[in-house]
Amino acid sequence: MDFLGTTSLGLLRAVPVTVLLFLASALGASLVAAVLVAMQQARVTQGLARAWIFVFRGTPLLLQIFMVYYGIAALGPIRHGFLWPAFREPLFCAWLAMTCCCSAYIAEVLRGALGAIPVGQIEAALACGMGRWTRLRLIVAPQVLRLALPAYGNELVMMIKSTSLASSITVLDVTGVAQQVIAHSYRTLDVFCLAAAVYLGMTAALTAVLRRIERSLDPLGSARR
Amino acid sequence: MDAELSVPALLGFGADGWGWALMAAAGLTLAVALAAMAIGAVLGAALAAAEASRRVWLVRIAATYGLVMRGVPELLVVLLLYFGAPGMLAGVAGLFGLPAPGSPPAFLTGSLAIGLVSAAYQAEVFRGGMLALPRGQIEAAMAAGMGPVVRLRRVILPQVLHHVLPPLGNIWQFNLKDSALVSITGLAELMRVSLVAAGSTRRPFVFFAAAMVLYLILTSASSALFRMIERRGSRWAGGR
Amino acid sequence: MIQTSPSVLSARGITKSFGGRAVLRGIDLDAQRGDVVTILGGSGSGKSTFLRCLNLLELPDAGTIEIAGTLAPLAHDRHGKARIANPKALNALRAKTAMVFQNFNLWSHMTVLDNVIAAPVHVHGVPRAQAVDRAHGLLEKVGMAGFAGHWPRQLSGGQQQRVAIARALATDPDLMLFDEPTSALDPERVREVLDLMRALAGEGRTMLIVTHEMAFARDVSSHVVHVRDGVIESVGPPSMMFGPDASPVFRAFLSPA
Repeated sequence: MDFLGTTSLGLLRAVPVTVLLFLASALGASLVAAVLVAMQQARVTQGLARAWIFVFRGTPLLLQIFMVYYGIAALGPIRHGFLWPAFREPLFCAWLAMTCCCSAYIAEVLRGALGAIPVGQIEAALACGMGRWTRLRLIVAPQVLRLALPAYGNELVMMIKSTSLASSITVLDVTGVAQQVIAHSYRTLDVFCLAAAVYLGMTAALTAVLRRIERSLDPLGSARR
Repeated sequence: MDAELSVPALLGFGADGWGWALMAAAGLTLAVALAAMAIGAVLGAALAAAEASRRVWLVRIAATYGLVMRGVPELLVVLLLYFGAPGMLAGVAGLFGLPAPGSPPAFLTGSLAIGLVSAAYQAEVFRGGMLALPRGQIEAAMAAGMGPVVRLRRVILPQVLHHVLPPLGNIWQFNLKDSALVSITGLAELMRVSLVAAGSTRRPFVFFAAAMVLYLILTSASSALFRMIERRGSRWAGGR
Repeated sequence: MIQTSPSVLSARGITKSFGGRAVLRGIDLDAQRGDVVTILGGSGSGKSTFLRCLNLLELPDAGTIEIAGTLAPLAHDRHGKARIANPKALNALRAKTAMVFQNFNLWSHMTVLDNVIAAPVHVHGVPRAQAVDRAHGLLEKVGMAGFAGHWPRQLSGGQQQRVAIARALATDPDLMLFDEPTSALDPERVREVLDLMRALAGEGRTMLIVTHEMAFARDVSSHVVHVRDGVIESVGPPSMMFGPDASPVFRAFLSPA
């Protein structure tokens, strides 16, 4: 088969790795983000949450990945501990770094959405005697989901792109395979275009799914009377 | 293994210390980010103008550029320029019958790569800024007899800047952090130097932590600076 | 729920400052069952703040509030700052009241029907089927029958306010609080909502209304309260307040020269 064909196949075969890393990181980051937002509501835990968000939003993901893979994995307790089988795997280290990093960005998205809930609707919930959990369940959570969806979707798209950094610690994701092909063929532009197409395909698919979710949550769309 | 060297000695400015190297590297990181921001601003403005123009082909090119550059991982763009630049330059030189110039300096390919991606995002920001300006303000300026240059300086620019500054601040932060990707070109910016130091002293945790602190200083100083500029420029906009 | 005592509201010494500026300077107010109390005053007089203190959307710096026999769980810490002593008790107190807001405040992610049944089902534990039945009846009563499946966004201001009133009625509150219910409405819609409130008053509902609608106040109230500079300047039945025996200050307020 010709070069373009073989390369395309090779790249496509790496898509499951990228998708797996993306989905696992998205799940982990969203859960941690929810915890962070909860922590920001209580005075005791507020500082820790803000520190976490500050550190993970203020440093490059690449550095965080190296920190986990080379830094933390080199520490005695990790190397000789029961967690070593996990930290030994580059994919795990990439996942851990991405989860911590993206959780900070998602937490900010959620915080913005929380603040965007019209105050009057909260007051209406207070005025009829709804307790804290009832308010959260009936009013706050549904509104936050709707308000956060566009920005959250943007973060997810950025996460797909961020998975490419895993290639720097030997993970054979789409970018990792692309790097290998470029290194021994030097047909850089061709490989770039193929890899770009693969990523654009993934982000297009994600955007389509997000748009469908947006429509189902908001059946009226922007239709006003 | 430099187990005997303490952390202060490793990071310090003495004989075995990496202090100066790290500082210089942080400076280079700043330089790369600035260069990328500048390239992105010029190219981004051009793209925004192209998209605002009536020429269909210009709009299409600008839109495609934006779509591709925002949808593709920045690392791939860096790889493209790093591995591909020598070949592309050789090809162009060959067209003119010139010898291949070899590989361009890492600083150039690195900041250009980040700049190309940054341009796509800055174009969006500029587009939004142009749209946000109420037409009535321009008409009022014209009615008052202001010429085009005065209008630009006194009415258009201040208002557009106000809308454009916060998102540009975000893009600047991303440029700062994306500069770490330039490390694969071998340029001695902060990511690369900390990696080299970690490898040569076998003390990765220390140097990566130090690099994180330096990046945090760069990013938090930047956001403080942007906040100050925004506040100064927003006095007329009123409270939110 | 049978409330034996006729006193629905007893507020004493309500005081409130915002950032050093005293907005309420000690207001006493009582309301018996079936009273329709209209609170009038200029902007900045503190009337809305007072209303919002009654269901503790604002926390008064001093004073006591008793609604239908339950005392508001207000406490003050050592700095004099007000706080809620008992959240559960607060919710129980609020469950006895209902508020209609100037900006309607319907929950935008719920249909009209869900808005009306939310409090009965999730606060008062009414079975859903029963709440739905009652909701349909209330929607018909406020003239919004057939809109149960609509979203708030699809409704005009007047329609939203009528749904808000149905929502307030759904919990069968002891005390209904109206915070400038018609101020955000187009003039044509104001009439519909006022007529609805008139009907509610006629049914014997206990209502506290902050409003600018003088004609309504004169026709419907059992007594009228004039708030000025954070205190009650004068109070009395409409016949007195709108007659020649009213205080000169109030008469000046009614017809600025």
